[in-house]
Amino acid sequence: MRTRQGRPVRSKGLALVAATYVLGLLVAAPVMARDPDPFAARAGLDVARSAAGSWAPDAVLIYVENDEAVAADGTSARWGYLFHSKTLDQVRAYSIRDGKIVVAETLDMKFEAPPLATDWIDSGAAIEVGDRIAATEFKKTGGASLSTMLLMRGAFQDKDPDQTTWTLIYTSPSAPSLFVVVDATAAKVRRTWRG
Amino acid sequence: MRNLPRSTWSTPALWVGALALLGSVWASRSAGAPDPPRAIPVKVEKVRPVRDKLTTLRFLRANRDFIRARYDELIAKPVDRRGASDEIDPRFLNYADLLNQVHAAHDTMGRAEDERSRRHLLESIAQLGALETELDRVERQLGAQRTRLALLEDDFTGRQRTTLLVVVQGFPAGASVNEIGIKIDDGSMLRVPLTGPQQESLRHGGLLEIFHGAVEPRDQVVQVTLFGSAWPAGDSGYMTLDPLRDRLTFLKLDLSAVQPAQGGASVQASTWLHEAPAQPIDG
Repeated sequence: MRTRQGRPVRSKGLALVAATYVLGLLVAAPVMARDPDPFAARAGLDVARSAAGSWAPDAVLIYVENDEAVAADGTSARWGYLFHSKTLDQVRAYSIRDGKIVVAETLDMKFEAPPLATDWIDSGAAIEVGDRIAATEFKKTGGASLSTMLLMRGAFQDKDPDQTTWTLIYTSPSAPSLFVVVDATAAKVRRTWRG
Repeated sequence: MRNLPRSTWSTPALWVGALALLGSVWASRSAGAPDPPRAIPVKVEKVRPVRDKLTTLRFLRANRDFIRARYDELIAKPVDRRGASDEIDPRFLNYADLLNQVHAAHDTMGRAEDERSRRHLLESIAQLGALETELDRVERQLGAQRTRLALLEDDFTGRQRTTLLVVVQGFPAGASVNEIGIKIDDGSMLRVPLTGPQQESLRHGGLLEIFHGAVEPRDQVVQVTLFGSAWPAGDSGYMTLDPLRDRLTFLKLDLSAVQPAQGGASVQASTWLHEAPAQPIDG
């Protein structure tokens, strides 16, 4: 009699515990597994520049690169920004995620790149331009994906090294990578090559 | 006190109360300024916290030599051909000389004509010119004043960066601290010696500023190292701070509870933000 009466009580209790556990997991899961919000390259610049100003008052932005995969709209969960200080003769990188600096690192390398122009187009606008070229280039060989995009001045633009350019690198399993150099001020393709 | 009946002071309870009151007054004087209500205690750890290391700028690191070589090419581009020059025909040089003579003659005539007309004009507007000069002088003074005010405004309101102010309070009873080291994340260590009067001041509730400077607005480890007879090579404690962007963050290190055995990890730390928000530095 006691056993028969006791069982339902125990099973009810267990069910309640289990339900609470499942409910807890359901509530906690979105919080725990939340992916960082993707953002365009310019959105992280203020935080990075603020930190760079604390590091060295004469710090200038010389390089930007996606630290995580880039989406079709030019957003990434993490962007890296590189600053150069002439007085310190050093370069320091900041990686921004969710509006916060997640990496700050002085690189062990000499890298005296010229400062970027201030009026560069954002990553989304650069991809719009680059994707048109990539679609044409990869029409025969099949699809390609944008693996890297980097903003810099001089290195990939022989004809006019003073230009600040986005370099978009598309990779494909069936063809060599495609490099598309986009003028970051005029939003025009300046150069493409395979490599 | 004189009005109080003698019997009242003989009761043990009141003596205990009076001693407690005296004790609390002494304690409040020796403890120095209390933390503001918004102060948050900071955990001081014996071992530096380990964090996940994320990679950044992968392409740049992988291709650093190539990219650097490209920049080197922009700076200096040697060519194979020798830059030898041929002799110039002396007649060509003579043509240039003739042209220069023509220009010089033209300039002389033009200058004479200009001078004549300018003299006439200046005579007629001499008084007006003097007045204009005076007005210019006033305008220049106003401009200089505006510049000075703008500089002051920038210095005191407009150029606030993310800053950290570290102060020390209290002095350990069981150990002597001769020097304090502060290292902010991957920066270099700043060592601040404590002079005799400073140690004495800390013993009596004084506050000592040991660092005030720009810091990056990010989660970072601050290492505090105590040097003294108990720790000749220094003993460190580690705390994690996240200074808010474009604001002044205070960090108070209380040494009064420091134990020789625990060293830097027995520092009691608290942090708070300066109340008035500063102007942002960017845009």
